[in-house]
Amino acid sequence: MTLNLCVLTPNRIVWDSEVKEIILSTNSGQIGVLPNHAPIATAVDIGILRIRLNDQWLTMALMGGFARIGNNEITILVNDAEKGSDIDPQEAQQTLEIDEMHNLACLFVNVK
Amino acid sequence: MAMAALRREGRRFAPMISPRPITALRSSPLAPSLEDECPIGVRYISTQVVRNRMKSVKNIQKITKAMKMVAASKLRAIQTKAENSRGLWQPFTALLGDLPSANVKKNVVVTISSDKGLCGGINSTSVKISKGFHKLNSGPEKETKYVILGEKAKAQLVRDSKKDIELIITELQKNPLNYTQVSVLADEILKNVEYDALRIVFNKFHSVVSFVPTVSTVLSPEIVEREAESGGKLGDLDSYEVEGGETKGEILQNLAEFQFSCVMFNAVLENACSEQGARMSAMDSSSRNAGDMLDRLTLTYNRTRQASITTELIEIISGASALEG
Repeated sequence: MTLNLCVLTPNRIVWDSEVKEIILSTNSGQIGVLPNHAPIATAVDIGILRIRLNDQWLTMALMGGFARIGNNEITILVNDAEKGSDIDPQEAQQTLEIDEMHNLACLFVNVK
Repeated sequence: MAMAALRREGRRFAPMISPRPITALRSSPLAPSLEDECPIGVRYISTQVVRNRMKSVKNIQKITKAMKMVAASKLRAIQTKAENSRGLWQPFTALLGDLPSANVKKNVVVTISSDKGLCGGINSTSVKISKGFHKLNSGPEKETKYVILGEKAKAQLVRDSKKDIELIITELQKNPLNYTQVSVLADEILKNVEYDALRIVFNKFHSVVSFVPTVSTVLSPEIVEREAESGGKLGDLDSYEVEGGETKGEILQNLAEFQFSCVMFNAVLENACSEQGARMSAMDSSSRNAGDMLDRLTLTYNRTRQASITTELIEIISGASALEG
């Protein structure tokens, strides 16, 4: 019995295949999900998602969102997600500093 | 030498005998009826006028062809993004259901349109649907408000529904569309507008030639609770144990906001795709029309030119034979 995991962001589908187990970090702590878990709808905090496929653990960084677990189907909707293997530590540090200045809306908003 | 002089004479008389057809030509834009509008007694129209028209029609054709290429390349860029964002709202619909028929008191119609024109009829269809919705849902207890994205819908809706407009947002596509921008926008809308149900009206992009106006419904958390309790599609929601916050209500609130921003993102991308696709087909048909017009004008030009040469020849020959005989 395997779980079907779908990690979606507004820009693309990050993960869509079967896994054995996941560890998800929510607002109220980390939860581990095994097959035949009870149905849950939960908010996901900014943190790390661990995925186990056949005794090998993969990590993914999630930028907050929601998760729905039910019927051996896990759907995680997040604002953004990055696979651990795709992250370069130097680049991440630089991006952190740049992003701290980029938190402004860049639209013209005409409020009537 | 003499023939050249006579030819020059013929041409000098031409503008004097046909002043009227020139103005008649200028006032009517249709090429085929050029000759019908000349007063009787005049043989031909000046070729200069026809040549000017041909030059301007050719320029228009070049411009519309270029616009079509630009729209095609922009479409390609946005299309991948739109397709990737489509997968996002399906889980929401699976969890919360899509209830276009939910009966609510406060409807807010979010109309998404383009800023630039020359894109066919997509903006008019969106506005028509928004207005139709407004009419259906305005009664003693219910009310409908508008939130407008894009200049074109603003121009059309400001005319008759000015008092119902809550928020207008334009120049959305100045920077390439991304989720952060749209989520900030969604935040603004949620903060400033009271709603029970949000109806997002946009043109869904099915293919380069087909854009279907669609309405996506996002319900506010209170309505979701109400519908969940009454059973039906949302009855399953209660079977989920909700974790990750203080109360279920808070989670549902966050979820509704997230759903709104995801659906908005998808809607804005799809509408942008539809806009580029509609512009492509509009520019394509207009360059084809320009080509047809150019063909007809070329025929007229040749006929005019041959007629003027024939006239000159006749004058020369009759002049020569008059000299002889």
